[in-house]
Amino acid sequence: MTCKDAIAILADYLESALSPELIEKLEEHLRDCAPCRAYLATYRKTKSLAADAARVEMPEEMKTRLREFLLAQLRERR
Amino acid sequence: MSRHSGRVYRLAYGITRNQADAEEIVQDVFLTLVRKGAGFEGHAALTSWMYRVTTNVALNKRRGKRRELEVSLEEHLPTYLEDGHRAGDRSYLLADWSSTPEQTHLSAEARKILENAIDGLPDHYRAVLILRDVEELSNEEVAAIVDDSLGSVKSRLHRARMVLREQLTRRLGTRS
Repeated sequence: MTCKDAIAILADYLESALSPELIEKLEEHLRDCAPCRAYLATYRKTKSLAADAARVEMPEEMKTRLREFLLAQLRERR
Repeated sequence: MSRHSGRVYRLAYGITRNQADAEEIVQDVFLTLVRKGAGFEGHAALTSWMYRVTTNVALNKRRGKRRELEVSLEEHLPTYLEDGHRAGDRSYLLADWSSTPEQTHLSAEARKILENAIDGLPDHYRAVLILRDVEELSNEEVAAIVDDSLGSVKSRLHRARMVLREQLTRRLGTRS
């Protein structure tokens, strides 16, 4: 397995979506390839950091405005 | 309602990267919901409808906007030698910032880098990234929401993560 092959299947590896044979080949490659080990570690970390960065909360004042907006819409419909 | 509106807002903001646009989308989605009434068979159908409508409206809103901010994906993907091994400076290839203490939690600097990097992703890549890594939906669910093939969803997700990883590595990698 080359680095190109290894990096192409990292997402499936993290999701445990690879066949046992491919996992064995990938892990064998990772044992011998420090750059790919670094790539996997930083790829995995990026996934969790990006999720944290993008996990935004709806501002409270916006929730209030949404409630008022919907109540006004419901009143109009009656 | 609060849980659903939070979810819709997170996705709408994640795709549009604009609070005012996200607020408008949340109002549109809930207004449609009020008009539709109780036409859903169960919670899963409602959630799936909300994700689909929010994604479509947010992508439509983004159409033609802020293209100048988009990064070149190719410039941020790994490069290889003819034999399939990584190309590039070895110390850079070995850079592993994943376990440095300041990256254990999201530092202000890493957050800024990531926010800019997420901003710079093409819209359809960002949508898939948010649906998968933030909303934690399956590839199959995301494919149904964005109305695309499973292969395309997986490819966009992997490329989006690689682009973000590269930008973090360029800024943080050489310090570890």
